[in-house]
Amino acid sequence: MSAEHRRLGLAALLALGAATLPFWAADQYQLHLATLIAAYWVLIGGLNLVVGYAGQLSIGHVGLLSIGAYAFAILAGKAGLHPALAVAASGALCGIAGLLLGLPSLRLPGFYFAMATMAVALIVGEVVLAQGELTGGGVGLPVPGFPAPFDSPAGFYWLTAAAAAVVTWLTWNVARRMQGRGLIAIRDSVVTAQAVGVPVLGAKLRAFVFSGVCAGVGGSLFAALQSYITPDTFHFELSLFFFVCIIIGGRGGILGPFLGVVVLTALPELVSPLAKLGNFFYGLLLLAVVLVVPEGIGRVFELVAARLKPRPVESVPVQPDLPRLARALRSNR
Amino acid sequence: MLSALVAGLATGAVFAATALAYNVMFSTSKVLSVTTGHLPMLGGVAGAYVIAGLGLPWWLGLLAAMGTGALFGLLTELVAIRRVLARSDEHLWLLSTLALATMVQQAVGLWWGTEPRPFPRLIPQDFSAGLADQKFWLPIALAVAMAGGLELFYSRTMAGKLFVAMSEDAFAARARGIPTDRIRVASYALAGALGGLAGFAAGQLTFAYFALGLTLTLNGFIALAVGGLGSNVGALIGGFALGLLNALASYWFGGEYQQTIAVGLLMVVLLVKPEGLLGSKQVRPV
Repeated sequence: MSAEHRRLGLAALLALGAATLPFWAADQYQLHLATLIAAYWVLIGGLNLVVGYAGQLSIGHVGLLSIGAYAFAILAGKAGLHPALAVAASGALCGIAGLLLGLPSLRLPGFYFAMATMAVALIVGEVVLAQGELTGGGVGLPVPGFPAPFDSPAGFYWLTAAAAAVVTWLTWNVARRMQGRGLIAIRDSVVTAQAVGVPVLGAKLRAFVFSGVCAGVGGSLFAALQSYITPDTFHFELSLFFFVCIIIGGRGGILGPFLGVVVLTALPELVSPLAKLGNFFYGLLLLAVVLVVPEGIGRVFELVAARLKPRPVESVPVQPDLPRLARALRSNR
Repeated sequence: MLSALVAGLATGAVFAATALAYNVMFSTSKVLSVTTGHLPMLGGVAGAYVIAGLGLPWWLGLLAAMGTGALFGLLTELVAIRRVLARSDEHLWLLSTLALATMVQQAVGLWWGTEPRPFPRLIPQDFSAGLADQKFWLPIALAVAMAGGLELFYSRTMAGKLFVAMSEDAFAARARGIPTDRIRVASYALAGALGGLAGFAAGQLTFAYFALGLTLTLNGFIALAVGGLGSNVGALIGGFALGLLNALASYWFGGEYQQTIAVGLLMVVLLVKPEGLLGSKQVRPV
């Protein structure tokens, strides 16, 4: 059984476990948590292409999530659109927002880009507060749920998990083909990528717009799950959380960030002292990972596995051709 | 109108001071630290704690503010910068300083509380002083003094010249026998002390508030990018311009769109003059 098969088997097992989760979850809260993880993953899966593959440190994705969530709440709630249409519309809107944001800011070097995305997160918060009659201002906005069969917790979980699975499939397709290779090349060395003909800005922009669409869809699902959103829901620390999930899981993979979001969402719920520390804990984790294993925790498992796996001992018996050696020595004398 | 202008100048002075702290750290390490805005925040909180909380005289508060800032600057260099620079990976320092900034902000939030608390009066003055109020002129005077002092420090003292040498070319400086690691630590401590001082002086304007750090990190950076990376006078101009623009914008349109306008200014400057008003062009040797 090769490593490829084992990885596929693991993925199939994970998928099976995730699909049957409503039947074996202990209570409604665990199901809610799983739905939350799936909604987060819709966004993080897209963001992973930008942060993990292309190496663009977008720390303000909560702004796009917020746009998606508010667009869904306004379209499906106030305008009375069908929720499915509203999801599509907010995905498209966030894609456009991603394009408008990425077009100037992706040309900037690393720190400038990070600051620009952070500024967008703050700006969206400001605009939401300022446009009170549209967004409800500081009071917030109720969000309608999805119609049957997605109105029960289990049904909504399946809807969200399906969206997460689609995003995973899309990113996986991008990651292992030419686009993904190009993004990795940009992350490792922009000059080299340019030299071998990767359209740097175009590739980055495509990944960023895709992550914007994902943020819009994820924001809609997130808002429908929360059923009531206020500007405080989309605080800047949430943005940091998305970012930390990817960095901790490991850049340049899909399984690592996925495990990151599962563990980081579930851990504070299971260990209550961590919930009080909250972002301090995320900061500490990020610092530890950056200083000790910049490749991410996913890489640690690989290293440990390589250490534990008994390497086949290669023995190369040496059989010198003695008569020939003797002849050579004799002729040289 | 006049009061809006004065308040804008004072806010701009805080941005300018943050931009100066950025500059001091950038000169020796070529790192733009996310923790920069948290230095004034720490200074403000430490000052308010010592003066209002413990009831000690103002000069002890000043010492505490500068000391806390310097200590945090040292910590930043030791924890988040040194090992990352040694590894010479592209933007890892952004991650490590971001992690440290998050940690310090959260720690202060847990200890100090998440509500902004008032900063005590430093000089006995009536609250009806209006435009001559100390909360306006203290930060303005300090930012100008800081920029002037830094210029003098760079041009007149040996230590300052070492800073300049390192900012020109760290490898060449090392080859000439300059202890670059020690100079870098010193620059972070200096930036921390200056940031703490700025937070102390501006405390009555900004209040002692744990979430101030990120806002200052962003606005200080905008001031720096507008004025030109590495230029102290540019930082001063950028900070004051940003503060005035914010004040005028809230005077005319209301206070909701401050951040939007600040980023708009940054985008316009970056489009027209990418190196900033007084910055030097970055030429990539091929």
